[in-house]
Amino acid sequence: MASSSQNQGLSKYVTLVSMDGFEFVVLREAASVSKAIARMLSPTNGFKEAQDGRCVFGEINGVVLEKVAEYFYYNYKNRNREDVPDMEIPPELCLELLMAADYLDT
Amino acid sequence: MSAPNPPNPPQRGARAIRGPQSALTDFLASHNISANQIRQDANARRAAALASVQAAEDDSNAPSPAAEPEPAAPPRRKETKAQEAKRKKEEEKAIAKIKASKQFQKRRRQYNSDDEVTDEDEAARAFFQESMAPLPGQMENCEICEKRFSVTAYSRAGPDGGLLCPKCSRDMDKEEGAAKKKRKTQAGRQRRQLQSNLLDGIYPGAKDLMTLCIETLAKNVDMADSFGDLPPALVDRLSGILCKKRLMNSSILDLFLRPEYDSVTIYDGSKLSSDDYIRIFQIVPKIKHLRLRNAVQFKNKVMDHLLGTTVELESLSLYGANLIDDERWNTYLTEKGSHLKALKVYWTDGHFGNEQLEVLAKTCPDLERLKVAHNQKVTDPGISHIANLPNLKYLSLEITNARERTTSGPYVEVINSIGGGLRTLSLSNISQLNDSVLKAIHEQCKDLSKLRLADNEVFTDQAFADLFTGWRNPPLTYLDLHKCRHIDAAEPRENPESIGLGSLGFQALMAHSGEALRHLNVHSCRHISREAFESIFTADKTYPELQTIDLSFCQQVNDFVAGSIFRSCPNLKTLKVFGNFGVKDVRVPKGKILIGVPNALGMQIEGTEDGDGRTI
Repeated sequence: MASSSQNQGLSKYVTLVSMDGFEFVVLREAASVSKAIARMLSPTNGFKEAQDGRCVFGEINGVVLEKVAEYFYYNYKNRNREDVPDMEIPPELCLELLMAADYLDT
Repeated sequence: MSAPNPPNPPQRGARAIRGPQSALTDFLASHNISANQIRQDANARRAAALASVQAAEDDSNAPSPAAEPEPAAPPRRKETKAQEAKRKKEEEKAIAKIKASKQFQKRRRQYNSDDEVTDEDEAARAFFQESMAPLPGQMENCEICEKRFSVTAYSRAGPDGGLLCPKCSRDMDKEEGAAKKKRKTQAGRQRRQLQSNLLDGIYPGAKDLMTLCIETLAKNVDMADSFGDLPPALVDRLSGILCKKRLMNSSILDLFLRPEYDSVTIYDGSKLSSDDYIRIFQIVPKIKHLRLRNAVQFKNKVMDHLLGTTVELESLSLYGANLIDDERWNTYLTEKGSHLKALKVYWTDGHFGNEQLEVLAKTCPDLERLKVAHNQKVTDPGISHIANLPNLKYLSLEITNARERTTSGPYVEVINSIGGGLRTLSLSNISQLNDSVLKAIHEQCKDLSKLRLADNEVFTDQAFADLFTGWRNPPLTYLDLHKCRHIDAAEPRENPESIGLGSLGFQALMAHSGEALRHLNVHSCRHISREAFESIFTADKTYPELQTIDLSFCQQVNDFVAGSIFRSCPNLKTLKVFGNFGVKDVRVPKGKILIGVPNALGMQIEGTEDGDGRTI
């Protein structure tokens, strides 16, 4: 399911790769919550990421990226709801996750 | 009544009023024989016999439950099978009746809102048992401990419907009370939080990851020993949240002090001592931007320390530092003023007056931003000194000296002198200023993007219209003219001289700035007519930049006007309409917030229209 190497017809899924090699396959629509990822993947910008649907993050480790992916789905699932319970964030991950969130612009 | 039997028909027993007794009754009582008892037993026997006959022929015309002498509430003794069957039947009937009754429907609505009883049958049964329970004043056996006690209006029902003695009630209360109360307040807190967020302009929905992280971090801030290399913008947000929760104290402050930072912002310094403020300059010697609110302990001692260091502040914002005397201000401005680009002084009570403004004009030639807010010492001569600050770009004054109101002259002088370079001009609490100020702004200002002229009762509508007509200033992005209105306690509705921002002025300002305006506040400008609103927000006009509008207490605003505004302002986020009773039932498009609708909840958030305008 991961990446479609053809550039015509965008794949529904994209792959996020962490600095230590973990790969997360997530819905493109969910991942586009991050403005940075949305820009990377937008075909109009012509980045390499847009062509193969694969974003490599050299500064985010697997644990944090997993949490980020979890957030993407949390946000995606609750996109049309009003009364949303906050997502649990483990305090020890908080700072790193905050840096990642700042980088990803979510 | 000393009957050991369950209490019989409340009609009799409840009253428990007895007249003088006969000698026979006394005699029998002394032998432990009660006439009452004998009669009741006989009644019960008769009723049982009658019931068994009726039950056999499947009666259809049973007496109404109220007249039925049989008590439905347990405990119950000596009940024959037939009696029991009959009682069950009666009960069912009574419950069916209750279900249909108006009182019950009303009660149920109440229950529903509390989410306490959801099952209809259960609710009806509870209601039934309640109505059958012994009335106050009677004796009853406690359902749990079987002890006799007298029933009061406060006696509560036990788990099986019987009444409880005071001691058992207390125990029950203790057991469930906590959980019950908690659940209720939890729901209430959520609702209030939602409303609070709406007032802050936060649309309900999933929060963004950054907000979630910052909130978690703020919750666990005592676990952190440093913020690592968080970007300054995030550190600032964190400071905001921690201060809002009143957590900023000596030890938390250390997290915000890093030698490499060039700015420190503390939104609530009320828990910090003078030594904490001194520590800021010791740990962050390269600091350029210092912003402190509620900094009461930032006093002479701290100022003296600051004067002794090499710190060269470019911007200083002090809120509530009313223990710095005028001498220190003079020394500071003289010694360190040459570096200052921005100075904001709020709430200094009787300090920081005309003399300091005079010194400022001499010693701070590069000052670009000046704000003096809620100051009680500055008067007209002080304001004139501001005219000698040629590089000023942002000027904000709010002088609250009640004894000596500021007048137009000095303001006109300032505008004539430096108006050409101003980007922001904010004048509040200027009740006595007259049209000459508006005229000066029209003639001099050509670079303004933010204009505030608030709380005035002299400006005329025509002068506002003249200000915005043919003004060479580009369209404003921020305009606040709240409380520019006529005040006359004797004739509140008459406004013969068209004082305050009215229809003419409003139309002129929208024609001038409508295309770029982002924030508009005309709160309390109550002379703007409905026709003016309607002609400004017609279907063919759009104001693409408008994000927030405050039309509170503009009495002509109604549903139609509010609807037209939503149509004409595609990027609108919040519209405030407090005190406008014409706004009752307007449809709010998705993603927009309407605040101040006069209903119990105060605001309305969800629309029915489709669209992806939902933001956080």
